[in-house]
Amino acid sequence: MIMKKSIYFYIILAVAVLLLASCASHPDVPSSAKEAKSLPAIYPDYCNVTIPCNIAPLNFMLPAGEYEACVARFTTPDGKQQTYGNGVKVQIPEEEWHEMLQASKGKSLKVEVWGQKNGEWLSFNAFDILVAEEPIDEYLSYRLIEPSYVAWTYMEIAQRHLTTFEETQIFNNEITMNDKEKGQCINCHSYQNYKTDNMLFHVRLSNSGTVIVNDGKVSRVNLKRDYTISGGVYPAWHPTEKLVAFSTNLTRQAFHTLNPNKIEVYDLASDMILYDVKTDSVSIVSNDSTLLEVYPTWSPDGKYLYYCKSVPLPEEMKDKDIRTTYPKIQYNLYRRSFDVATHNFGDEELVYDAASSDKSVTLPRISPDGRYLLFALGQYGCFHSRHHDADIVCIPMEQYTGTPLTAETASFVDMRLVNSDGYSDSYPSWSSNGHWIMVASRRGDGNYSRVYFAYFKNGKVGKAFLLPQEDPEHNTFLLKSYNRPEFMVEPVKISVEEFSQVFDK
Amino acid sequence: MEMKKIQYIYTILFGVAVVLFFGLAYPHHLHYQEQFQLFLFDSNYVWDVVKQPGGIADLLGRFCTQFFLFAWVGAFIIALLLSAIQLLTARLVNGGWFFVLSFVPSFLLWFFLLDENALLGGVWAVLLTLLAVWLFVKLPKGWLSYSVMVVVIPILYWMVGPAWTGTHYHRYPTVVPTLLYAAWLLALVLPLLANVFKKWNSAHQPSAIICHLATIVVLVVMGTLIWKNSNFKAEKVMQYDFMACHQQWNRIIETINTEKPNNQIGVTVQNLALAMHGQLTAQLFEYHQNGIHGLLPDVQTDATTPLPTAEAFYQLGMVSVAQRTVFEAQEAIMDFQKSGRCYKRLAQTNLILGSYEVARKYLMALQKTLFYRDWANETLPLLGDEEAIAKHPEYGRLRRSAYKNNFFFSDHVTPEMLEDLYFSYTDNYLALEYLKAYCMLTGDRDRYNNLLRRTSVKQ
Repeated sequence: MIMKKSIYFYIILAVAVLLLASCASHPDVPSSAKEAKSLPAIYPDYCNVTIPCNIAPLNFMLPAGEYEACVARFTTPDGKQQTYGNGVKVQIPEEEWHEMLQASKGKSLKVEVWGQKNGEWLSFNAFDILVAEEPIDEYLSYRLIEPSYVAWTYMEIAQRHLTTFEETQIFNNEITMNDKEKGQCINCHSYQNYKTDNMLFHVRLSNSGTVIVNDGKVSRVNLKRDYTISGGVYPAWHPTEKLVAFSTNLTRQAFHTLNPNKIEVYDLASDMILYDVKTDSVSIVSNDSTLLEVYPTWSPDGKYLYYCKSVPLPEEMKDKDIRTTYPKIQYNLYRRSFDVATHNFGDEELVYDAASSDKSVTLPRISPDGRYLLFALGQYGCFHSRHHDADIVCIPMEQYTGTPLTAETASFVDMRLVNSDGYSDSYPSWSSNGHWIMVASRRGDGNYSRVYFAYFKNGKVGKAFLLPQEDPEHNTFLLKSYNRPEFMVEPVKISVEEFSQVFDK
Repeated sequence: MEMKKIQYIYTILFGVAVVLFFGLAYPHHLHYQEQFQLFLFDSNYVWDVVKQPGGIADLLGRFCTQFFLFAWVGAFIIALLLSAIQLLTARLVNGGWFFVLSFVPSFLLWFFLLDENALLGGVWAVLLTLLAVWLFVKLPKGWLSYSVMVVVIPILYWMVGPAWTGTHYHRYPTVVPTLLYAAWLLALVLPLLANVFKKWNSAHQPSAIICHLATIVVLVVMGTLIWKNSNFKAEKVMQYDFMACHQQWNRIIETINTEKPNNQIGVTVQNLALAMHGQLTAQLFEYHQNGIHGLLPDVQTDATTPLPTAEAFYQLGMVSVAQRTVFEAQEAIMDFQKSGRCYKRLAQTNLILGSYEVARKYLMALQKTLFYRDWANETLPLLGDEEAIAKHPEYGRLRRSAYKNNFFFSDHVTPEMLEDLYFSYTDNYLALEYLKAYCMLTGDRDRYNNLLRRTSVKQ
């Protein structure tokens, strides 16, 4: 009988321990602590950032080797307080976090952090997290890939719900890797106007083509025509029409022995095409055989197509191998008007002359209200995600009146809070409400791209902050890059299995 | 002696044979297996594996494979698994004539494991299935055993996966592991047959001598089949790769003097060892050569052949080239696994190149392993410590030897790349050895003479 009782006791105890373990830890604030007189060195750095009112919990940690424990106290504007801390990590339950965000909307959350070092508690300077009233788009998609050279293995295009930590797969190459003789590379996911009923991504090698979703219906098309140099590569959906502008590229790679950029991705040739989804027809937009056109993007009203185009090389370099001339290949930003009714393009206009200041512009994006232009700017070339000097530039479009803008004539939005020093900042984009800028940056270690957001309002930019993860150490251990992050206002509803069916046809 | 005890002796003999085979004749197949996986003591890693059907068998296989770094331990583990399968089969067939046949599934699994890409998860799947059947048989018949079966079948599906479709039993997803399936099927069919012929089997118990003879015949016939079908050529190639990986230069010289290698990996490793001894140009033509393809072969897109070449790149000081080659090799592992060997080398190359945060990532992952943890712990303090790196016998030398000029490289090493390496740091005798050997193998007298002239001027 006594034996039975003790068994029950242990079962109850185990259940209680499990229940307690599943609850958030609300530790007491240290009764005494030495003042550190500095901000805490938390990772990710969320000190004094402005965040959307619907973002997932900003979990963070103190450096594990340096500290034994961390306690954080959050105070909402109405005076309510809550503490968190489990070891060196601060992980906030989603429900409690969103309650705090709602209470702080348009105001700020005060955060006090204590860290235990060599048995002694230190109290750091408090910092604020400003909670903007403007939400961020609910979804984000990206390709997760090892920052590879030529060979690649498993890769996936994933979507992340930004209000929670939920990440699901849109597509992966495992099915095709396993079932077909050769594997496939999947890339360049793109959506029409932040929605997912019209979207696409490419598959390369076996069963290659472009997977297009047209009003929710999936098909695989081959965009290579006799008169194009390749199938579609970098895409841009027209905001209202069933049209996609693509660059077509003959892309090559070379590897540096010493340069920290490590890999040089360059085009031997590149043109631009327009694909009509309804009629499966491809028309040439631009195919100057001596110059390289790339990275199309539409103005939000669909009346202009922006793109980058290389400037002619100096005469003495024209016949040389591109691997020796690559530091001199620079791109400017152009645009052409577009007539939605006739599908005709107007004359080319030079919008931003980067080459005149010995720079190269890539990946342009116009803000949803059409008032601002973002692009990645580096010394040379078209693949700034591999260029350590690449930074994001923002220019008010009102400055462009037909005369090409230059570094001397344009006044730039101050982006110092967004850009990193000495690491690639690339692939900028706007949220659908125009209040959140997203960039892919290798600032963490120089090799693995991560997603950063920054608040944007009336030409002012907030401090960039890292995409929050449930485990703040996630980014430390993840040996994958976040490639081509794109905002979406809704999730992709087609399953991996449904996408894979287009390869059986 | 009692028959049952003698049967145990046969099982022990079988186990000893397995240990001796993998420990003495096939050790480098085990090293090969180990280097193409990275078992992490990490909940995310474990969950990623076990959430798949067959995940438990896969995880157990991966867990055991990490011990293959030490071939004798690996051999012992395989022997234990195969003996356990034989014992369980013997228990289920209940002796008699069927005892003799109880060795066949284990032999088929041994046969299966001769393939360096056959994964141990498959063996675990058979063992777990037999354990489930044994459990079912042991339970008293009635509602309890049927209830247990209802519960066990889905659990078994999760543990070992669907028997006939692509679970992680072979590194190449498209390969159907026929031998594994045959062993699995036989291990299940034999008890059924034993049950069907139960009466006959007990009525016709073989005499002890017949039983011994039959068992010995099965052991000898299947043992011979195993021996005949073993790929000792591949074992030799793997041995060269292993010796290069562990920088056993003296052992390589001893091995090539016993039997001159005539395969590409062997020749590449032979030349590297000769160069490490400063004997490459002096003894170049005393061994088989394969032109420049035996010196620094072009990088191929597979997981195996680039690794010894990458070792040569690394030792030469072509650190960024070695990094790329190792990275590509790891990416070419067919079942998407990572490699402890590759992680270690990627941590080293990033450390030498000054990419400390990237090196830290690899080292932190290696801290979650059983056998690379100590090395990772020792290496982590070096990150950012320029003085310690400069003094380090390997990293300091390679940092000094590394390229001083930037240029592009691709899959093919050119003599200009070796020239640049040597003339930017003339203490790099290895680069000079390779450069001279390059000229000798291509018959480029002009470059060789020019090189002699330039080196004599330097001296």
